[in-house]
Amino acid sequence: MIEKRRGKLEIIADILSSMQKKEGRIKPTHLLYKSNLSHSKLKEYINMLLEKGMIEEKLVKGKKMYFMKDQGYKFLLEFERIKEFSDSFGL
Amino acid sequence: MVFESVPYGLPSYVFSPNWFYGFDSIIELIAILVSILLVYYSYKCFKLTKEKKYLYFSAAFLSLTFGFIAKIIGTLAIYKPSITRTALGSSIHEAFTGLTPYNINAIALVMHFFFMLLGFMILFLIISRLTWKNQRVIALLVYFVFIATWLSIIHYQLFYFTSFVLLSLITYSYYQNYREVKSKKAGFVTIAFGILLISQAFFVFVIYSRIVYVLAELIQLLGFVYLLIPFILIFRKRPRIIK
Repeated sequence: MIEKRRGKLEIIADILSSMQKKEGRIKPTHLLYKSNLSHSKLKEYINMLLEKGMIEEKLVKGKKMYFMKDQGYKFLLEFERIKEFSDSFGL
Repeated sequence: MVFESVPYGLPSYVFSPNWFYGFDSIIELIAILVSILLVYYSYKCFKLTKEKKYLYFSAAFLSLTFGFIAKIIGTLAIYKPSITRTALGSSIHEAFTGLTPYNINAIALVMHFFFMLLGFMILFLIISRLTWKNQRVIALLVYFVFIATWLSIIHYQLFYFTSFVLLSLITYSYYQNYREVKSKKAGFVTIAFGILLISQAFFVFVIYSRIVYVLAELIQLLGFVYLLIPFILIFRKRPRIIK
Protein backbone atom coordinates (compact mmCIF):
# COMPACT_ATOMS: atom_id res chain seq x y z
CA MET A 1 0.00 0.00 0.00
CA ILE A 2 1.30 3.46 -0.90
CA GLU A 3 1.58 5.74 2.14
CA LYS A 4 0.11 9.23 1.66
CA ARG A 5 2.79 11.97 1.73
CA ARG A 6 2.73 13.92 4.95
CA GLY A 7 1.75 17.56 4.76
CA LYS A 8 3.47 20.38 6.65
CA LEU A 9 0.95 20.26 9.51
CA GLU A 10 1.24 16.47 9.83
CA ILE A 11 5.04 16.75 10.07
CA ILE A 12 4.78 19.42 12.78
CA ALA A 13 2.23 17.27 14.64
CA ASP A 14 4.53 14.22 14.34
CA ILE A 15 7.49 16.19 15.74
CA LEU A 16 5.43 17.55 18.65
CA SER A 17 3.82 14.17 19.26
CA SER A 18 7.27 12.54 19.50
CA MET A 19 8.20 15.17 22.08
CA GLN A 20 4.96 14.69 24.02
CA LYS A 21 5.55 10.93 24.22
CA LYS A 22 8.93 11.68 25.81
CA GLU A 23 7.24 13.81 28.49
CA GLY A 24 7.70 17.02 26.54
CA ARG A 25 11.50 16.86 26.21
CA ILE A 26 13.65 15.19 23.56
CA LYS A 27 17.25 14.97 22.39
CA PRO A 28 17.93 16.16 18.79
CA THR A 29 19.17 12.69 17.77
CA HIS A 30 15.98 11.02 19.06
CA LEU A 31 13.90 13.61 17.28
CA LEU A 32 15.71 12.95 14.02
CA TYR A 33 15.04 9.24 14.38
CA LYS A 34 11.37 9.65 15.40
CA SER A 35 10.44 12.36 12.88
CA ASN A 36 11.54 10.37 9.82
CA LEU A 37 13.00 13.50 8.20
CA SER A 38 16.39 14.36 6.75
CA HIS A 39 18.73 16.36 8.99
CA SER A 40 18.34 19.55 6.94
CA LYS A 41 14.52 19.25 6.78
CA LEU A 42 14.28 18.64 10.52
CA LYS A 43 16.45 21.70 11.16
CA GLU A 44 14.03 23.79 9.04
CA TYR A 45 11.07 22.57 11.07
CA ILE A 46 12.88 23.00 14.40
CA ASN A 47 13.72 26.62 13.53
CA MET A 48 10.12 27.24 12.59
CA LEU A 49 8.81 25.71 15.83
CA LEU A 50 11.30 27.79 17.84
CA GLU A 51 10.19 30.95 16.01
CA LYS A 52 6.51 30.17 16.66
CA GLY A 53 7.24 29.57 20.33
CA MET A 54 5.99 25.97 20.27
CA ILE A 55 9.28 24.54 21.54
CA GLU A 56 12.39 25.86 23.27
CA GLU A 57 16.03 24.82 23.23
CA LYS A 58 17.88 24.33 26.53
CA LEU A 59 21.22 22.90 27.57
CA VAL A 60 20.91 20.06 30.07
CA LYS A 61 24.22 18.84 31.50
CA GLY A 62 25.93 20.48 28.54
CA LYS A 63 23.77 18.64 26.00
CA LYS A 64 21.18 20.26 23.72
CA MET A 65 17.55 19.32 24.48
CA TYR A 66 14.22 20.49 23.01
CA PHE A 67 11.31 21.23 25.36
CA MET A 68 7.69 21.54 24.34
CA LYS A 69 5.94 24.79 25.31
CA ASP A 70 2.25 25.53 25.98
CA GLN A 71 1.86 26.78 22.41
CA GLY A 72 3.06 23.37 21.18
CA TYR A 73 0.56 21.51 23.37
CA LYS A 74 -2.19 23.82 22.14
CA PHE A 75 -1.26 23.16 18.50
CA LEU A 76 -1.21 19.40 19.07
CA LEU A 77 -4.62 19.46 20.73
CA GLU A 78 -6.09 21.55 17.90
CA PHE A 79 -4.50 19.24 15.33
CA GLU A 80 -5.99 16.16 17.05
CA ARG A 81 -9.39 17.86 17.12
CA ILE A 82 -9.23 18.69 13.40
CA LYS A 83 -8.20 15.11 12.64
CA GLU A 84 -11.07 13.70 14.71
CA PHE A 85 -13.51 16.14 13.10
CA SER A 86 -12.20 15.12 9.70
CA ASP A 87 -12.51 11.39 10.45
CA SER A 88 -15.95 11.70 12.03
CA PHE A 89 -17.43 13.76 9.18
CA GLY A 90 -15.69 11.79 6.43
CA LEU A 91 -13.59 14.69 5.20
CA MET B 1 -51.81 22.12 2.91
CA VAL B 2 -52.01 24.40 -0.09
CA PHE B 3 -53.33 27.71 1.15
CA GLU B 4 -53.25 29.75 -1.97
CA SER B 5 -51.70 29.69 -5.42
CA VAL B 6 -49.61 32.84 -5.81
CA PRO B 7 -48.15 34.46 -8.97
CA TYR B 8 -45.72 32.63 -11.25
CA GLY B 9 -47.27 29.31 -10.21
CA LEU B 10 -45.59 29.36 -6.80
CA PRO B 11 -47.51 27.36 -4.23
CA SER B 12 -47.92 28.45 -0.63
CA TYR B 13 -47.77 25.59 1.88
CA VAL B 14 -48.20 25.16 5.61
CA PHE B 15 -48.33 21.58 6.84
CA SER B 16 -48.28 22.12 10.58
CA PRO B 17 -51.37 21.62 12.75
CA ASN B 18 -52.41 24.86 14.49
CA TRP B 19 -51.25 23.73 17.96
CA PHE B 20 -47.73 23.06 16.54
CA TYR B 21 -47.38 26.53 14.99
CA GLY B 22 -44.04 27.97 16.06
CA PHE B 23 -42.71 24.74 17.57
CA ASP B 24 -41.46 23.73 14.13
CA SER B 25 -39.69 27.11 13.88
CA ILE B 26 -37.94 26.35 17.20
CA ILE B 27 -36.82 22.98 15.82
CA GLU B 28 -35.56 24.72 12.69
CA LEU B 29 -33.73 27.22 14.92
CA ILE B 30 -31.95 24.36 16.71
CA ALA B 31 -30.97 22.93 13.30
CA ILE B 32 -29.62 26.38 12.36
CA LEU B 33 -27.53 26.56 15.56
CA VAL B 34 -26.00 23.10 14.93
CA SER B 35 -25.37 24.00 11.28
CA ILE B 36 -23.74 27.33 12.19
CA LEU B 37 -21.47 25.52 14.65
CA LEU B 38 -20.36 23.16 11.87
CA VAL B 39 -19.95 26.08 9.43
CA TYR B 40 -17.80 27.97 11.94
CA TYR B 41 -15.55 25.07 12.94
CA SER B 42 -15.13 23.76 9.42
CA TYR B 43 -14.19 27.24 8.20
CA LYS B 44 -11.71 27.53 11.08
CA CYS B 45 -10.18 24.20 9.94
CA PHE B 46 -9.92 25.63 6.42
CA LYS B 47 -8.15 28.75 7.68
CA LEU B 48 -5.67 26.63 9.63
CA THR B 49 -5.00 23.88 7.10
CA LYS B 50 -5.86 25.63 3.79
CA GLU B 51 -7.51 22.37 2.71
CA LYS B 52 -10.51 23.08 0.46
CA LYS B 53 -12.56 20.11 1.72
CA TYR B 54 -13.25 22.04 4.94
CA LEU B 55 -14.39 25.06 2.95
CA TYR B 56 -16.83 22.93 0.91
CA PHE B 57 -18.15 21.28 4.08
CA SER B 58 -18.65 24.74 5.55
CA ALA B 59 -20.45 25.83 2.36
CA ALA B 60 -22.74 22.79 2.56
CA PHE B 61 -23.90 23.60 6.08
CA LEU B 62 -24.12 27.31 5.28
CA SER B 63 -26.52 26.42 2.48
CA LEU B 64 -28.56 24.27 4.91
CA THR B 65 -28.57 27.22 7.34
CA PHE B 66 -30.01 29.49 4.63
CA GLY B 67 -32.54 26.79 3.81
CA PHE B 68 -33.77 26.61 7.41
CA ILE B 69 -33.83 30.42 7.75
CA ALA B 70 -35.99 30.58 4.60
CA LYS B 71 -38.37 28.01 6.07
CA ILE B 72 -38.70 29.94 9.33
CA ILE B 73 -39.42 33.18 7.43
CA GLY B 74 -41.93 31.41 5.18
CA THR B 75 -43.85 29.71 7.96
CA LEU B 76 -43.77 32.70 10.32
CA ALA B 77 -45.33 34.82 7.58
CA ILE B 78 -48.38 32.56 7.85
CA TYR B 79 -48.26 31.84 11.60
CA LYS B 80 -47.72 35.46 12.59
CA PRO B 81 -49.08 37.71 9.82
CA SER B 82 -48.81 40.55 12.37
CA ILE B 83 -45.07 40.58 11.46
CA THR B 84 -46.03 42.43 8.27
CA ARG B 85 -47.43 45.21 10.45
CA THR B 86 -44.11 45.82 12.23
CA ALA B 87 -41.87 48.72 11.10
CA LEU B 88 -39.63 46.41 9.04
CA GLY B 89 -42.63 44.42 7.79
CA SER B 90 -44.49 47.51 6.59
CA SER B 91 -41.40 48.99 4.90
CA ILE B 92 -40.93 45.69 3.02
CA HIS B 93 -44.63 45.74 2.24
CA GLU B 94 -44.35 49.26 0.83
CA ALA B 95 -41.28 48.38 -1.23
CA PHE B 96 -42.93 45.29 -2.68
CA THR B 97 -46.57 46.23 -3.02
CA GLY B 98 -48.96 43.36 -3.15
CA LEU B 99 -46.63 41.09 -1.19
CA THR B 100 -48.97 39.04 0.99
CA PRO B 101 -47.93 36.57 3.72
CA TYR B 102 -48.77 33.84 1.19
CA ASN B 103 -46.36 35.39 -1.33
CA ILE B 104 -43.61 35.51 1.30
CA ASN B 105 -44.37 31.91 2.26
CA ALA B 106 -44.18 30.78 -1.38
CA ILE B 107 -40.92 32.62 -2.16
CA ALA B 108 -39.33 31.45 1.09
CA LEU B 109 -40.40 27.90 0.33
CA VAL B 110 -38.62 27.96 -3.04
CA MET B 111 -35.50 29.32 -1.32
CA HIS B 112 -35.85 26.55 1.27
CA PHE B 113 -36.06 23.91 -1.47
CA PHE B 114 -33.04 25.31 -3.33
CA PHE B 115 -30.68 25.80 -0.37
CA MET B 116 -31.54 22.46 1.25
CA LEU B 117 -30.97 20.54 -1.98
CA LEU B 118 -27.77 22.49 -2.69
CA GLY B 119 -26.49 21.77 0.84
CA PHE B 120 -27.21 18.05 0.58
CA MET B 121 -25.67 17.98 -2.90
CA ILE B 122 -22.42 19.63 -1.71
CA LEU B 123 -22.29 17.16 1.19
CA PHE B 124 -22.76 14.31 -1.27
CA LEU B 125 -19.96 15.69 -3.46
CA ILE B 126 -17.55 15.95 -0.50
CA ILE B 127 -18.28 12.53 0.94
CA SER B 128 -18.06 11.00 -2.55
CA ARG B 129 -14.54 12.48 -2.79
CA LEU B 130 -15.40 14.41 -5.95
CA THR B 131 -13.10 17.38 -6.48
CA TRP B 132 -13.29 20.45 -8.71
CA LYS B 133 -11.36 18.38 -11.26
CA ASN B 134 -14.68 16.63 -11.91
CA GLN B 135 -16.12 19.94 -13.15
CA ARG B 136 -18.50 18.41 -15.69
CA VAL B 137 -20.01 16.06 -13.10
CA ILE B 138 -20.37 18.91 -10.63
CA ALA B 139 -21.98 21.17 -13.27
CA LEU B 140 -24.45 18.40 -14.07
CA LEU B 141 -25.29 17.90 -10.39
CA VAL B 142 -25.81 21.64 -9.81
CA TYR B 143 -28.10 21.68 -12.86
CA PHE B 144 -29.92 18.76 -11.25
CA VAL B 145 -30.44 20.88 -8.10
CA PHE B 146 -32.05 23.66 -10.20
CA ILE B 147 -34.29 21.16 -11.99
CA ALA B 148 -35.27 19.47 -8.73
CA THR B 149 -36.10 22.88 -7.20
CA TRP B 150 -38.19 23.83 -10.21
CA LEU B 151 -40.08 20.54 -10.22
CA SER B 152 -40.55 20.77 -6.44
CA ILE B 153 -42.48 24.02 -7.02
CA ILE B 154 -44.91 22.01 -9.14
CA HIS B 155 -45.04 19.15 -6.65
CA TYR B 156 -43.61 19.67 -3.15
CA GLN B 157 -43.23 15.88 -2.58
CA LEU B 158 -40.49 15.79 -5.17
CA PHE B 159 -38.36 18.02 -2.92
CA TYR B 160 -38.65 15.68 0.04
CA PHE B 161 -38.15 12.64 -2.20
CA THR B 162 -34.99 14.16 -3.74
CA SER B 163 -33.70 15.02 -0.26
CA PHE B 164 -34.47 11.43 0.74
CA VAL B 165 -32.44 10.07 -2.20
CA LEU B 166 -29.51 12.42 -1.51
CA LEU B 167 -29.57 11.61 2.21
CA SER B 168 -29.67 7.87 1.40
CA LEU B 169 -26.44 8.25 -0.57
CA ILE B 170 -24.89 10.47 2.12
CA THR B 171 -25.88 8.04 4.92
CA TYR B 172 -24.46 5.08 3.00
CA SER B 173 -21.19 6.95 2.45
CA TYR B 174 -21.03 7.84 6.15
CA TYR B 175 -21.68 4.18 7.03
CA GLN B 176 -18.71 3.23 4.84
CA ASN B 177 -16.66 5.96 6.54
CA TYR B 178 -17.67 4.54 9.95
CA ARG B 179 -16.54 1.04 8.90
CA GLU B 180 -13.24 2.53 7.73
CA VAL B 181 -12.38 4.71 10.74
CA LYS B 182 -14.30 2.62 13.33
CA SER B 183 -14.77 5.56 15.70
CA LYS B 184 -17.75 6.20 17.98
CA LYS B 185 -18.00 9.77 16.67
CA ALA B 186 -18.21 8.61 13.04
CA GLY B 187 -20.95 6.24 14.23
CA PHE B 188 -22.94 9.15 15.67
CA VAL B 189 -22.61 11.05 12.38
CA THR B 190 -23.91 7.99 10.48
CA ILE B 191 -26.85 7.65 12.89
CA ALA B 192 -27.56 11.40 12.61
CA PHE B 193 -27.82 11.26 8.82
CA GLY B 194 -29.83 8.02 9.07
CA ILE B 195 -32.33 9.80 11.33
CA LEU B 196 -32.48 12.81 8.98
CA LEU B 197 -33.15 10.33 6.17
CA ILE B 198 -36.12 8.88 8.10
CA SER B 199 -37.45 12.41 8.74
CA GLN B 200 -37.42 13.11 4.99
CA ALA B 201 -39.37 9.87 4.42
CA PHE B 202 -42.03 11.18 6.83
CA PHE B 203 -42.05 14.62 5.14
CA VAL B 204 -42.97 12.95 1.82
CA PHE B 205 -46.34 11.98 3.32
CA VAL B 206 -47.21 15.21 5.21
CA ILE B 207 -50.08 15.97 2.84
CA TYR B 208 -52.02 12.94 4.14
CA SER B 209 -51.92 13.84 7.84
CA ARG B 210 -50.78 16.86 9.79
CA ILE B 211 -49.49 14.65 12.60
CA VAL B 212 -46.96 13.18 10.13
CA TYR B 213 -45.45 16.68 9.86
CA VAL B 214 -45.08 16.86 13.67
CA LEU B 215 -43.39 13.44 13.71
CA ALA B 216 -41.10 14.40 10.81
CA GLU B 217 -40.06 17.61 12.60
CA LEU B 218 -39.37 15.75 15.87
CA ILE B 219 -37.31 13.11 14.04
CA GLN B 220 -35.40 15.90 12.29
CA LEU B 221 -34.68 17.47 15.70
CA LEU B 222 -33.31 14.13 16.92
CA GLY B 223 -31.10 13.95 13.81
CA PHE B 224 -29.55 17.34 14.53
CA VAL B 225 -29.04 16.45 18.21
CA TYR B 226 -27.14 13.35 17.08
CA LEU B 227 -25.09 15.54 14.72
CA LEU B 228 -24.12 17.67 17.71
CA ILE B 229 -22.92 14.73 19.86
CA PRO B 230 -19.67 13.96 17.95
CA PHE B 231 -18.90 17.69 17.91
CA ILE B 232 -19.28 17.89 21.72
CA LEU B 233 -17.19 14.72 22.16
CA ILE B 234 -14.36 16.25 20.10
CA PHE B 235 -14.37 19.45 22.14
CA ARG B 236 -14.64 17.69 25.50
CA LYS B 237 -11.08 16.52 24.97
CA ARG B 238 -8.70 18.26 27.36
CA PRO B 239 -5.04 18.99 26.65
CA ARG B 240 -2.60 16.42 28.03
CA ILE B 241 -0.06 18.88 29.37
CA ILE B 242 3.03 17.24 30.85
CA LYS B 243 5.41 19.58 32.56
